[in-house]
Amino acid sequence: MKKHLGASGLLFSLLVLCTVFAGGVYGAGPIVIGVPTSTGFVEGKEGLAIVHMAVEEINGKGGVQVGSERRMLAVESIDIRDAAPGVPVPEALLGIEKIILEKKPTALVIGPFRSEALLAGMDIIAKYKVPMIGTIAMTPASEEKIKSDPDKYKYIFRTCLNAKYLVTYLVGVMAFVNKEFGFDKVYIMNQDVAWARATADLITKNYFNKTGWTVVGHEAYPTGTSDFSSALMKIRSGGAQVILPIFDMPQSGILVKQWNSMRVPAMLAGFISPLAGPGAWKTFDQKIGGAVNVNFELGSAIASQKVPKSVDFFASYEKKFGKPMEAGHGPAPTYESVYILAEAIERAGSLDPDAIAAEIKKTDRIGVMGRIRFDDGHQAVFGMDPNEAAVACVFQWSEQGDRINVFPQSIADGKITLPSGLKSAK
Amino acid sequence: MFAGTVLYALINSVILLLMAIGFNLTFGISGVSNFAYGALYIMAAFATWMLMNLVGLPYFLSAILSILFTALVGALMYRFIIMRVRGQVLSEVIATFGIGLAILEFFRYLGFVGIEYSLPVFLDHSFIIAGTYVDMQRILIVVSSVVLILLLWLFIHHTSIGLAFRGIAQDERTALTFGMDSDYIAMLSVSIGAGLAAIAATVIVPLGTISVGEGYEVLLNALAVCIIGGLGSTGGVIVASLFVGFAQRFTDTYIGSHWTMIVSLVAILLVLVIKPSGLYGKQKELEERI
Amino acid sequence: MQKRKERIDRGIKVRSEDIFALCSWKEMLYLSGPRLLPLIAFALLPLVLGTYWQRVLLSVAVFGLLAISWDILAQSGMVSLGQALFFGTGAYCSGVLNHYWHLPPMVTIPAAAVVGGVICTLLLLPVLRLRGIYFAMVTLIIPLMLVRIVEATKVFGGTEGLSGLTPLPSHWIELYVSLAALLGALFGFRRVMSSDYGLVLKGINDNDRSVMNAGINIYWFKAQALFLSSAVGAFAGALMTHVYMFVGMPVFALDYSILPIAAVVVGGHGSLAGAALGAFILVPLSEALRALGGLRIVFYGVFLVVFIVALPEGIFHFVTRKYHQFERWVEVEK
Repeated sequence: MKKHLGASGLLFSLLVLCTVFAGGVYGAGPIVIGVPTSTGFVEGKEGLAIVHMAVEEINGKGGVQVGSERRMLAVESIDIRDAAPGVPVPEALLGIEKIILEKKPTALVIGPFRSEALLAGMDIIAKYKVPMIGTIAMTPASEEKIKSDPDKYKYIFRTCLNAKYLVTYLVGVMAFVNKEFGFDKVYIMNQDVAWARATADLITKNYFNKTGWTVVGHEAYPTGTSDFSSALMKIRSGGAQVILPIFDMPQSGILVKQWNSMRVPAMLAGFISPLAGPGAWKTFDQKIGGAVNVNFELGSAIASQKVPKSVDFFASYEKKFGKPMEAGHGPAPTYESVYILAEAIERAGSLDPDAIAAEIKKTDRIGVMGRIRFDDGHQAVFGMDPNEAAVACVFQWSEQGDRINVFPQSIADGKITLPSGLKSAK
Repeated sequence: MFAGTVLYALINSVILLLMAIGFNLTFGISGVSNFAYGALYIMAAFATWMLMNLVGLPYFLSAILSILFTALVGALMYRFIIMRVRGQVLSEVIATFGIGLAILEFFRYLGFVGIEYSLPVFLDHSFIIAGTYVDMQRILIVVSSVVLILLLWLFIHHTSIGLAFRGIAQDERTALTFGMDSDYIAMLSVSIGAGLAAIAATVIVPLGTISVGEGYEVLLNALAVCIIGGLGSTGGVIVASLFVGFAQRFTDTYIGSHWTMIVSLVAILLVLVIKPSGLYGKQKELEERI
Repeated sequence: MQKRKERIDRGIKVRSEDIFALCSWKEMLYLSGPRLLPLIAFALLPLVLGTYWQRVLLSVAVFGLLAISWDILAQSGMVSLGQALFFGTGAYCSGVLNHYWHLPPMVTIPAAAVVGGVICTLLLLPVLRLRGIYFAMVTLIIPLMLVRIVEATKVFGGTEGLSGLTPLPSHWIELYVSLAALLGALFGFRRVMSSDYGLVLKGINDNDRSVMNAGINIYWFKAQALFLSSAVGAFAGALMTHVYMFVGMPVFALDYSILPIAAVVVGGHGSLAGAALGAFILVPLSEALRALGGLRIVFYGVFLVVFIVALPEGIFHFVTRKYHQFERWVEVEK
């Protein structure tokens, strides 16, 4: 029995010690920025690196002015593993709670990948009142939730684009190929997750059905699918000229590989995350000439000479980390979010969450991806002109391995050209 | 499109067969559970990738080295872990599954996630067969599985070690009285099974990327094929892989891609409810149901 | 002089064996100590720990319930690799009842436990005749299949699941209800298993054919054991749903099947207390290791293997043995 008491006494004291350490020391130390995201995936990994980079830049200039004192920024991260399909959402939520309770961050950036983790996490964030600027999860449902109870959810913002804005850019691309090459048959392939489904449904309803395009087929693939051959065969037999893929899982690279090896005579125009960065040319053995990809924000692995800040951002990442960034979704808004946060804290003059949230809402900043302002749903406004709103960037891989920006017009360096092997339908 | 679907269904079946061969050898024929199979498959793929990209060896040398390495890991795994829980099926399953989990999650922890983790195909060429393009890699898969199945069949039916494999599964005590060292034979079987997994990985992985989640899928597919076909019967494994492969491809083309995975799972369930020893398995009536 | 190790009961155990236990406080404490310890610990811990560790304690209770449900099945001769089925069914039942019919958690949780139990029993009835690894395989497959079916048919919210469900009134109630449930299940089912009813179940585990020979309908008993176990698992699932106000496809995840098995392996099977102890050790350990990120699951796997190989009887049996008996070297009698 003595041993029993001894063991349980030890356990008791261990637990108490943990609580004490969890409490932590709080004084005029650095301002903590929390990063709860899936750091095992490329968007999360590069995002975290970019948060560090932005924090170093700001600290190098003297830190953030809070009222009368200058304070430095510090970064705490936690891997909530929510991007992997099998991970239960409560696990991700527990991770978010843990970083809020243990590290006591002033604000959170990046946030969860999956929509359900974001939607469920919004309640936790509202409970603990920690401002969060999300840069990855894209579902419009979070804006609806914010609008339904603005006072409860006022802490949550999103700087990356959402499914609705993605549709406008895709529509621009489709309209172009329709006008120039006479293409009017499309096959839609999307990942079976909320944002991709929303994108596919919106573009079908608002554009394809109204402009006389024929949707030869529309397939939703569960995350982790690794064989797209049946769809590619249907594309060939249905005579579709354009394939609209909407994927952000790494396995979507297999679609590109199969599209190539099956020699399907159709143009790839959509979003496939492995195609977003400059390394894709080598990864796919230089066989992706002609593919069109939408990078969700200008500055995320693509820059435009017409927005010099995006070029600087791209170059400084490569200089600091030795290789260019590859994620087409997340880097630019993450970088901007840290700066938005710093500026909001300075304007608010304190670390009070309500004050910071109010100041973030008033943001009007010209940065790497254009001009950033938030609408009623706390979503950054996207448009076609970087001087007015934030922009995404559509580019096309040339046959020589360069990426040519083709849309929107304000940052385009060229026009979409017909991939070799395809004939115009005009 | 029908001919194309049939062709791709055939190739899919062969891929499943290749995945299941190693598992069948250890679990079905020798009676040793090795639920780290998927992990060994992925480990072989990553080993080849690391040798090629980090050390700079040529592709064929990396492939051969990683096959040998996986076989060695299989042997060590048996010697130090499985041997101690030999005979208690549940403990074997849990122990090997724990090892598999540790290996897979270790790779995920190291950050081996992404499109750059893929192996190159042998030859990049496409043929037109029956009106559809088929690439060289898939043809290579078909050829190599046919060769492997033949070799396996010859091995377990006509060589003494192969017969020993079946002996220790049938009745271990009798095998011992005949002078077969059952621990050594079991170690060989786990090792060869792991090597077969590595060969399968080398041929199949270039079709896509090396993804950690695929480790669990491979284990599930191999399990499905072995159970449906009947543990221990090579002919059963062939028929089962054809059945599941065709079912998957045809559901994918004509019904919808969501139902693909459900089909194989429902097939397993039906087999287990109706005839647990599988299509060609020896009916161990008393052992399987009461 | 050759010596051998002898293991004999402690004096105090012998003295407290019979009614003589009542003659001294020391003996009474010896008997009641192990039973009172978890009661007192679980009553006091929530008051001492911070908010985050209280959450962890809730997880301990939920996984403890799952581990107990696994152990009940294992003691009846059915090994299941798919506790996630019970967990997920209970979670979805309570989620659906709450979302579509707006019933309060006080009603949905018990209802989900019973309804979930019935559904799981009916699902597994056709395969009750299977033994050993075949039954285990079926339990492994069914949750995976249900995940895909939910994903494909998009029922009950599909991939996003149902969110915004009603939480329990206060987090103290959450915590104490789950701990009370754990303790209730633990002590209650221990009572059941040591009664005549439990004897029949253990007999089915040992040798089902001889139980059949005794004229007992083993299918009926197996179905009952299945119902008990799945009701406990469904209760755990329903509780988790209302704590996190969310239910979705991930409730059928492999995590919920593996952790109970790991808890029982670590804690020791054959006695439900071992299952609870295993959960009490594993869950905080894995949370403490969360800082290591993905390496946590690697530790899980390694831990599992080490325990299966090196300490197969589990911690609880080890501790029990030390509590009741001691070892000493004696001379070998000629």
